[in-house]
Amino acid sequence: MEPALATRNLTCRYGRTEAVADLTLTVEAGTLFALLGPNGAGKTTTIRTVMNVLRPSSGRASVFGVESTRLGPSELQRIGYVSENQKLPAWMTVGELLAYCRPFYPSWDDALCRKLLTDFDLRTGDRIGRLSRGMRVKAALVSSLAYRPRLLVLDEPFSGLDPVVRDDLVRGVLELAGEERWTVLLSSHDLDEVERLVDVVGFIDAGRLVLGESFANLHARFRRVEVTAGDAHPATPAVVSADWIGMRQAGRVIQFVETRYVPRETVVRATEAFRANQVDVFPMTLREIFVAIVRDRREARP
Amino acid sequence: MLPFSVTIRVGRSLHDQVVFAVTKAIITGQLQPGDAFPSVRSLSQELRINPNTAQKILATLTERRLLEARPGVGTTVAAWRPASTPGRRGVLADHVERLVVESKRLGIDLGDVLDAIRKEWK
Repeated sequence: MEPALATRNLTCRYGRTEAVADLTLTVEAGTLFALLGPNGAGKTTTIRTVMNVLRPSSGRASVFGVESTRLGPSELQRIGYVSENQKLPAWMTVGELLAYCRPFYPSWDDALCRKLLTDFDLRTGDRIGRLSRGMRVKAALVSSLAYRPRLLVLDEPFSGLDPVVRDDLVRGVLELAGEERWTVLLSSHDLDEVERLVDVVGFIDAGRLVLGESFANLHARFRRVEVTAGDAHPATPAVVSADWIGMRQAGRVIQFVETRYVPRETVVRATEAFRANQVDVFPMTLREIFVAIVRDRREARP
Repeated sequence: MLPFSVTIRVGRSLHDQVVFAVTKAIITGQLQPGDAFPSVRSLSQELRINPNTAQKILATLTERRLLEARPGVGTTVAAWRPASTPGRRGVLADHVERLVVESKRLGIDLGDVLDAIRKEWK
């Protein structure tokens, strides 16, 4: 099965700055892939390169097996792309925008388009220039969902929007759920929203892929561990295991993140390492996992 | 809207939370044999969850014989058989272990735990 989207040793430079460095990632068809990373990590540059808005400095990107620099109408008809600061013609009404887009897409579905307009509370007579940011994103999303794209690329779709608008957008995106081999590439900082939606997490930092793995796997192997040491003043824990990150201590309580959780074994190892009276293990949210990884990388930097 | 009660919390397995909610709804009679069960698409939309997760939830519930797929009709709630299969006992053992560990940690003795279970059972 051909991946929906892939990059191979992708590098993008702006002058001397390497925004994306030797990035290799694969988005399998039928999955929702979340591209996560701190600000300036290279998420938007990666997406723009894959969408052929930017040219790679070296390496390559492909969509449905076609090189990004050669994307033509037959591929673009199957891709929906909505970015955070999408420019829409301010002078057009919502209806005019949709009428303008419609002829480009043979698979345009009028019934779906009407349903999305109703769900999103959008009026076709409203001028785009007068819409709020949330409404503009909704209009952009309708114009990209109405032709039922097989690949949906969303660059920070939720940022700065209120919870109701975000909920509308997620619901709109899921309108296409159940389509065969439907694939989504999403970059976002709204991790609680993403946690419900994601299949695979691609984590990038300083333009490089740090981690690419299913959320189910990530959720299974990350745990916050809280240890109550037997001694009143336990020795400041040295590096006990490379799998234990973010080690912190206050009084007799020691806290860290286990990155290779094994039921029982983790508790046994922590009990031995700290001569602990008590060890508690808590599952972590995507947001907590993200913060732990970013902090750990920051601390590891010289 | 979904025909059963479910509150999703982040940080826990979505699959397990929804499977638990549906199982509970069947036991409490919120869902009854023959009732229509939501499709992958509407489960995904209503809960704002990934369709692949919704698909797995339906697969698990069908595998546990709580739901049945009827060609042409869709998925419905199966006639509930309380007979305990080894699979179900396995699921229960996991919960029991956690309960025992937690009770010991909190210094609650077996009698009190059993009382708490009896109270909840009703």
